[in-house]
Amino acid sequence: METRNAVVVGGNRTPFTKAGGKYAAASAQDLLTAAIDGLVARFGLAGAELGEVAAGAVLKHTRDFNLTRESVLGSALSPHTPACDLAQACGTGLEAVIYVSNKIRLGQVDTGIAGGADTASDAPIVITEKLRRALLRANTARNLPDRLKAFLAVRPADLVPVPPAVNEARTGLSMGESQAITTKEWDVTREAQDELALASHQNLARAWDSGFFDDLVTPYLGVTRDTILRSDTTLEKLARLRPVFGKGEGASMTAGNSTALSDGAAVVLVAEEETARANGWPALARIVDSQVAATDYVTGKEGLLMGGARAIPALLERNSMTLDDFDFIEIHEAFAATVLATIKGLEANGTGTVDRSKLNVNGSSLAAGHPFAATGGRIVASLAKMLADKGPGSKGLISICAAGGQAVTAIMEGC
Amino acid sequence: MAADELKRLHELPSLGGLFVKALATGFNRPGPDAGLPSRSVVVESLAQDPARLVAYNHVTGFGLRDHVPATWLHVQTFPLHAWLMAQADFPFPLAGTVHVSNEMTLHRPVTVADKLWVRVTCNNLAPHKRGVSFDLVGEIRVGSEIVWTGTSTYLALGRKLPGTPVPAPRLEAPDVAASQLWRLPADLGRQYAQVSGDTNPIHLSRLTAMPFGFKRAIIHGMWTHAKALSSLGPRLPGTHTVRVAFTKPISLPGRVRFAADDELKFAVVNSDQSKAYLVGQVLPTQ
Repeated sequence: METRNAVVVGGNRTPFTKAGGKYAAASAQDLLTAAIDGLVARFGLAGAELGEVAAGAVLKHTRDFNLTRESVLGSALSPHTPACDLAQACGTGLEAVIYVSNKIRLGQVDTGIAGGADTASDAPIVITEKLRRALLRANTARNLPDRLKAFLAVRPADLVPVPPAVNEARTGLSMGESQAITTKEWDVTREAQDELALASHQNLARAWDSGFFDDLVTPYLGVTRDTILRSDTTLEKLARLRPVFGKGEGASMTAGNSTALSDGAAVVLVAEEETARANGWPALARIVDSQVAATDYVTGKEGLLMGGARAIPALLERNSMTLDDFDFIEIHEAFAATVLATIKGLEANGTGTVDRSKLNVNGSSLAAGHPFAATGGRIVASLAKMLADKGPGSKGLISICAAGGQAVTAIMEGC
Repeated sequence: MAADELKRLHELPSLGGLFVKALATGFNRPGPDAGLPSRSVVVESLAQDPARLVAYNHVTGFGLRDHVPATWLHVQTFPLHAWLMAQADFPFPLAGTVHVSNEMTLHRPVTVADKLWVRVTCNNLAPHKRGVSFDLVGEIRVGSEIVWTGTSTYLALGRKLPGTPVPAPRLEAPDVAASQLWRLPADLGRQYAQVSGDTNPIHLSRLTAMPFGFKRAIIHGMWTHAKALSSLGPRLPGTHTVRVAFTKPISLPGRVRFAADDELKFAVVNSDQSKAYLVGQVLPTQ
């Protein structure tokens, strides 16, 4: 059987900013278009018709139902490039890469772009359910009295807009509150969390200073570097922050060891390996395999963000690999405690231990920020570059936790 | 064409004040025989307003990019157009003067962070079959580099100047079906006035437009121009020359259509394409 490999050719993202910062006026579509156009410029894709572009956003306006296609039409790509919107909460970006890779491996397309964008600054505000129902009824009413009648049930309190909810629908808990339960359950200390946060900032700062991101990031709206990054933070500074999630004694999750609401977009160019070489594009790393798993978090038996501890063993078993086989391990830092609890979970279920010297070596979401759907593209592009630098056969593992108790994981291999 | 008098302003003048001044002095203008004053006006260090650019891009349909639209740069020069025309020795009053055509060239991409040197001068007074025409010529530099140039041709209706009118080169509408429908809301003139500063009453409401002979408010020609460029999307080259002729006003609220061909000839037209409101063409920069 003919084997087709999907390889990462390169990536591009905007610098990430704190919500309400320099991108406050930019929409998810503006951000995604900017990220795509940066990739187009980097690989000379102006006017090119690609197989498909798959991307998404977690915080999404109804007007953005065709976000990715609209971004393609606003970009310098050929208008014949098809696109699809994809959603899997914070797993969106990585799932988009998997989707495009699978199409490439099946021979349905030869090239594609995958990624995502999110802006917590431009989040949709919705109207109350009662007002929404009334407006819908009024819209279908045939005459003025009926139209007016539709609004009779509306009370003044129903006119107050509803800000976007970040709570899990079934538990009513915010992500931080959910993680606080897991943090306690797995006995993750404040010190361990702050150390991980510090390492994230130090690693990301070193990566920026060494020029690692020179061919991975294009400045946008005057921002040239991730704005959440604090290269001068210290354990002492992190230790001074007050806990924001969890209650009472032992509450350990602070603004320093939790990701900030952020804005940004990231995309990667994926191609069939021979197509990449024929185009003179670098083939950085193959997308080898992927696995999504979900936890039973609603009953409280498992943590909301512990999906990685389920997905990774399944992925390793199918590929006859162990954690020791990897040169780099990327576990998305939704919270420092998420990474640490996931590692403890992998140890507890017999999967193995994560060598911390291989973990998030160029920083991750705590320092870079986490524009939800953009995180997958950021990690895939960075890991592909690290694997290409390491050499052929080097291996990388990605795990990204997502709302709904899910985690998306993937194995990549240096070309 | 050296302008003898160079007036330096520290910042862009407020258009509201200029409109009042122009109206107050409008009845006592010297007329075409006096010729155009040999004068130019310059603002040497203009910081662009990022918040206003965001609003401008939103109203005119441009996405938020690092580079600003060419028409945004025209907006930066417009207060200086008004300043020149508001001077008491300018031959024509502002009322009765219409913007008939425009040409601008974006020589290199400009970002919102660039500090601009902006100059406008007037020249080219000429007889026209419907009156007397003249040009306001703008130039924008970043550092010592010319990044944008523009010529706005205005017509003083019903005025006379000896000589034979030289017919202006006509722009042709593209010979393709319109592919986009624009819905212009009733408050679009007020929205564009906010982002451009052009608070000419004919654009603001029916009541303020009526004294000037319009049954309804009409949208700014430069909105239509900007919207046409944003509607070209990625087909618009990074640097370009664009010419437009404003052929008919668009009343608000309104629905118009947009057509553009592969040579980037474009037009804003009515539903059966029997009437063109704006005709234009984009040419790549040499």
